[in-house]
Amino acid sequence: MIHIGEGTRSYIVAKGISAGKSDQSYRGLVKIGPRAKGARNFTQCDSLLIGDKCGAHTFPYQEIGNSTATIEHEATTSKIGEDQLFYCQSRGISEEDAVSMIVNGFCKDVFQELPMEFAVEAEALLNVTLEGAVG
Amino acid sequence: MLQVNDLHVTVEGKEILKGLTLTINAGEVHAIMGPNGAGKSTLSAVIAGKDGYEVTQGSITFEGKDVLEMEIEERAQAGLLLGFQYPVEIPGVKNIYLLKSALNAQRAARGEGEMPAPEFMKLVKEKLGFMKMDASFLQRAVNEGFSGGEKKRNEILQMLVLQPKLAMLDEIDSGLDIDAMKVVADGVNSLRAEERAILLVTHYQRLLDYIVPDKVHVLVDGRIVKTGDAELAKELEANGYEGIEESVA
Repeated sequence: MIHIGEGTRSYIVAKGISAGKSDQSYRGLVKIGPRAKGARNFTQCDSLLIGDKCGAHTFPYQEIGNSTATIEHEATTSKIGEDQLFYCQSRGISEEDAVSMIVNGFCKDVFQELPMEFAVEAEALLNVTLEGAVG
Repeated sequence: MLQVNDLHVTVEGKEILKGLTLTINAGEVHAIMGPNGAGKSTLSAVIAGKDGYEVTQGSITFEGKDVLEMEIEERAQAGLLLGFQYPVEIPGVKNIYLLKSALNAQRAARGEGEMPAPEFMKLVKEKLGFMKMDASFLQRAVNEGFSGGEKKRNEILQMLVLQPKLAMLDEIDSGLDIDAMKVVADGVNSLRAEERAILLVTHYQRLLDYIVPDKVHVLVDGRIVKTGDAELAKELEANGYEGIEESVA
């Protein structure tokens, strides 16, 4: 995200999901140019871990050329808890559907910004990718 | 409907249930009471299929089917639903979505199609009104930020929508004030039916004033030591569990 003009604002939402033995990294650049007086950026970097053999890393890059800018970065890491899966299953929802439901809830913020046709495809692709990821 | 025979369950190497036998028929409301550590929550957790509980001996059958051979979701789809003592939060998943998925999963297991959305909304709104809950609750994430009372109402709401054959309620009265307890009790009492059974696990006799049980069982040290009717619960309240232990010993 490159800020050039005065008073510019940006919001970055990054959602990463790791499953199996994978590792994910977020690398984002927020660059504030010298003329971007009062610029604001808020970066939210969320990771969801499925299982306990995967990991997530965050490498935020911030190049700040104007001292009146406000830059914020927030990172969260969460796991799909066994308790949450049991709760869903105890209502009759299969483990795979439960994972899918929780992952979609996690990605909601991003999916709802996408054009509907694309969001539907993205959700379907996510479900296919995660098939068999649990257990 | 539910038959538990000589059930022995070990948790983390320690035997908690030591030969528990219990029969619940359709149309009945049973209450299980007992001191802390007796195994009350263990019983409902094992029937629901929670991980970490090892059945070393005995059997559990539900409508003639072997429960221990069934997956967790299969048990729920067969009509065995557990109301949790400490319902967990599921951020990002709206209550309405969970309800819809659960109901349709059960319908699919029975060979019925998905319930049409307008019919579903009507059903949920009706049950919401009965539980004196606001429609805004549907859009909130499951149990996220809910007070203890709201979580318990949510458990009953789910029961009302999912219409189980056997509803197991684990300490549904814990953390509730009198008003909330009345609403919850009304909800549970509305579930009473000839083809349905209800199992209440509770510490306190108070709940049983609102939901009068047909049978009361006293669970001490992993076994049911005494069975009686609603009067037994009042006796327990008066004499405590030690009183019963002595009379049985």
